[in-house]
Amino acid sequence: MFKAKIKTKIITVLLLMGFVGLCDMRASGGPQSSAAQADHPAQETWRKEFDDVCSKTQDDMTFSQEELANLIRRCDALLPQIEKLDETRKKVYLGRLRMCRGLYAYVLDSKRNEKK
Amino acid sequence: MPMCSIRKGTRRNERGLLLLVLACGVLLLGNIAPAQIYLPKPPPEPSEYGKVILDNHSTAGPGPVVFDHWLHRSKFTCRLCHVDVGFAMEAKATGISASTNRGGFHCGACHDGKKVFDGRTVFAACSDAANDKRCDRCHSLGKKDVRQYEYKKFTAKFPKGIYGVNWEAAERSRVIKPVDFVEGLSVKKAPMRSREDFALKAGYSWVHPIGFSHEKHSIWNGCELCHPEIFPSAPKSTIHFSMFWNIEGRYCGACHGKVAFPLNNCQGCHPSGPRWAHGAIPIG
Repeated sequence: MFKAKIKTKIITVLLLMGFVGLCDMRASGGPQSSAAQADHPAQETWRKEFDDVCSKTQDDMTFSQEELANLIRRCDALLPQIEKLDETRKKVYLGRLRMCRGLYAYVLDSKRNEKK
Repeated sequence: MPMCSIRKGTRRNERGLLLLVLACGVLLLGNIAPAQIYLPKPPPEPSEYGKVILDNHSTAGPGPVVFDHWLHRSKFTCRLCHVDVGFAMEAKATGISASTNRGGFHCGACHDGKKVFDGRTVFAACSDAANDKRCDRCHSLGKKDVRQYEYKKFTAKFPKGIYGVNWEAAERSRVIKPVDFVEGLSVKKAPMRSREDFALKAGYSWVHPIGFSHEKHSIWNGCELCHPEIFPSAPKSTIHFSMFWNIEGRYCGACHGKVAFPLNNCQGCHPSGPRWAHGAIPIG
């Protein structure tokens, strides 16, 4: 009788653990990797920096030359981290970084030429 | 020497000179024509305009994909797809495949079977699920009755311009509300600052000036789609952005003549210019 009770408890605990695991997997979008899925925290630092640097493109004309140079430096620092990503992610984000950096460099050039 | 033979000689010289001038004129025109009086080809029917055939695996698989720009541009900004999602502006440069779509990139950035748009769940591109195999919706080249949207029906309520839908008017009248953000890929940004529209004086006196809507272009494209890759420098003149280069697909021709209104619509850029270049005005 006592053994049967322990067995039932073990089965219940195992079922609960399985259920929690399943819910967790569904919450993260299933086993398939997805662009929308959150990365490993260590990998996510590059994404936060990328989002921060490239979220300022619509304000490009308002930055000073020093601020633009700093944004370009931050883009350059991101490059080796993005190059480590898997092929598709690398291609997408390298393209975006190229456009983002290119714009800052373009505005910086225009501002330098204006001063001349 | 008798007078009449001198006159004959002079006439012969005059005729020779005239012929020489004419020959030079023809040669000069021959050189100028392709460079300066270069007219764009008539565009296809508006329903076919901006159609892209993606044919990465023509020998195997479900066949080429037919992508209609008119359908997607009614829902999204150019920037969203060509910057955030990473669709290149040139053919075969993106590297789309079924696995990248399944991984949440390219078409799969939106077509993931989860995102809801206009109250409908967007179907999953290249889905592996047996009950969700709808390859023909995109891989539709040469297949009949597989496309869900038909141009005339879809754009029936859209304001029309000189050529097909007038997308600017469609947005102004709120018939379309292009989305500029896709969860997971886009960066949250403050709204685009208003850009000043300006006029560009043409490099030639006989070319009408351009009224450039910097605001409209920056809202739809962002800054980074055009600068610096399409427009590496921005002198306030069209001298470097001539029609020759536009027709060749550079500068304005990167979009106009392919997806954005065709280069034949002269007044689209030169408000005081002629309405339409080359052939009859198509309305559709």
